[in-house]
Amino acid sequence: MLHNCSNHLNIMQAFPEFISFKLGIYVEIFVEWLLDNFMGFFDALNEVILWFLLNTEKFLQWVPWWALVLMVFLLGWYFKKFSAGISYAFLISLIGVFGLWELTMTTLAIVLTSVILSLLIGIPVGILMSYQAKVEIVLKPILDAMQTMPSFVYLIPAMMFFGLGMVPAVFATVIYALPPVIRLTNLGIQNVSQEMVEAAYSFGSSPWQALIKVQLPQALPTIMTGINQTTMMALSMVVISSMIGVQGLGYEVLTGISRIEIARAFDAGLSIVILAVIIDRISQGIADKYKISE
Amino acid sequence: MKSVANKKVSIALVIGIILIGVLIFYFSHQDTLTTTNTGGEQDDKGVLVLADAGWDSIRFHNEVARLIIENGYGYKTKIIPGTTIVTFEGLKRGDIDIYMEVWTDNIETYPKAIENKEVLEVSVNFDDNRQGFYVPTFVIEGDPERGINPLAPDLKSIEDLPKYWEVFRDPEDKSKGRIYGAIPDWAADKIVSEKVENYGLDKTYNLFRPGSGTALSTSMVDAVEKGKPWLGFYWEPEWIMGKYDMTYIEEPAYDEEKWKNGGYVCAFPSLPVTVCVNKEMPEKAPEIVEFLKNYQTSAALTNEALAYMEENNVDVIDAAKWFLQQHKDLWASWVPQDVVDQVEEAL
Repeated sequence: MLHNCSNHLNIMQAFPEFISFKLGIYVEIFVEWLLDNFMGFFDALNEVILWFLLNTEKFLQWVPWWALVLMVFLLGWYFKKFSAGISYAFLISLIGVFGLWELTMTTLAIVLTSVILSLLIGIPVGILMSYQAKVEIVLKPILDAMQTMPSFVYLIPAMMFFGLGMVPAVFATVIYALPPVIRLTNLGIQNVSQEMVEAAYSFGSSPWQALIKVQLPQALPTIMTGINQTTMMALSMVVISSMIGVQGLGYEVLTGISRIEIARAFDAGLSIVILAVIIDRISQGIADKYKISE
Repeated sequence: MKSVANKKVSIALVIGIILIGVLIFYFSHQDTLTTTNTGGEQDDKGVLVLADAGWDSIRFHNEVARLIIENGYGYKTKIIPGTTIVTFEGLKRGDIDIYMEVWTDNIETYPKAIENKEVLEVSVNFDDNRQGFYVPTFVIEGDPERGINPLAPDLKSIEDLPKYWEVFRDPEDKSKGRIYGAIPDWAADKIVSEKVENYGLDKTYNLFRPGSGTALSTSMVDAVEKGKPWLGFYWEPEWIMGKYDMTYIEEPAYDEEKWKNGGYVCAFPSLPVTVCVNKEMPEKAPEIVEFLKNYQTSAALTNEALAYMEENNVDVIDAAKWFLQQHKDLWASWVPQDVVDQVEEAL
């Protein structure tokens, strides 16, 4: 069936068909086994995360807009400078001007929940990685996969465990946003100068005390960068979250691009950018403030 | 040190030469090394582009058409994916030549495109489709084999829905039920949200936006497999409907007044789903246009093929081959005899 100069070239072009093994089917069987046997656990987890999400969302929507603008201004002023505070306050008001304030609060609730979860899991894992080389070897390829595996591949099982909506969105966002904070915590602690750590030991501190009092504070700027990166990645998952039933800015973008309503997509997209810029600058400001000069 | 550096340089040189050699070999033999999709003739008949608007039945019809076009007529074909509106714009502009399933009411620019002759409607693929609200049958009738009690035994039409809202309780808002709606990509999105409002369902239900076709299907499959209630928008033909037993929630019969001016308070009209081509096609490939003019299936046939695909875990291409093998009388009437023979040979 092929028109080529000689048949032996065939095996050069197409991977030989007789060598065939489809790994995915075992993953699918594993997912189904989990679904059959552990639903109670997933339901419980679902309830907990959902409760936290809904209450965060309600709280953010209850806080009057001017209070939030004021808080952004104060944070910008305290951690950076006065002009920064003004510009951040202006930017966030812009979101309200676009008419997207409530949707932004929904998105913010998910981003905040995902980031907090990522930090709760990521920082301890990062610390563990810095102490045990074996953990690092095992985790590194897993972290790579978490960052590059197309989200829908693990989203479909997530939708089966948690239903549609905010909970699988948080699950997906955490998977995507977790690696930076783990890697940078690991890096930060490993980069603390050995002399300092040894000095701490020679003064009689236990490994635990050395960790809390010497290594973590020294590693803090790098860890803050990790937190900052994690937040950025969480924001970039916003549109994917909308594809599994989350309203919010991501859904606005999705609707805009599906219906070729460029204006709508742009306003929502710009709001996401504004959120990202404000969170980024303020968290950088916090990191700078806590930098301990040598 | 210098000898190590020399060694690295020579290895780099060897790799570079091999790479360049492979590239030269490839480019000088390009015409004989590249292959067609399914092995038709290799003369210069050009490539026809079909649209993949993202759902299974259009992919299926694409493959059926491709098998006939490539093996029977000798053209190469290509598929471009995209959303409904994006691919339809592509059809108008000529980036896409053939569109196997145009759900005519879903595309606002359709009547105008036909009027301006940017797009030619060549045949009606099927018009016995249905869109509307569905629940799994076991919600109404129960399923003794699985130990499911009928939770909504008197649920028949849309008027019965308000009293059963607790059956479909929304996990994110426990005070109302949940209806899974359409996605922003489809015209049905706007229609469904207006229906919910105009039938007064928004008092007892939240209209949930799944965001993607995948999410909508997953939520339904998940509920049906677990034996849980589900209420939402869906359509036939689609493989899910072939595989799972779903019951259509009745709405008042279609009435043009109620549809256009009354805010869609009646059943969806049966849409003619057409096959369309770009306006250049009669010049570019007249025999293909002739073939497509005869292309006619039905929702039932499409459902059947899609269910086959799902149950036997095969892909669309195999399902298309199976379909052509099963229904020779049907498609043999679409094309001249020599094409029939060539396609049969390839199957």
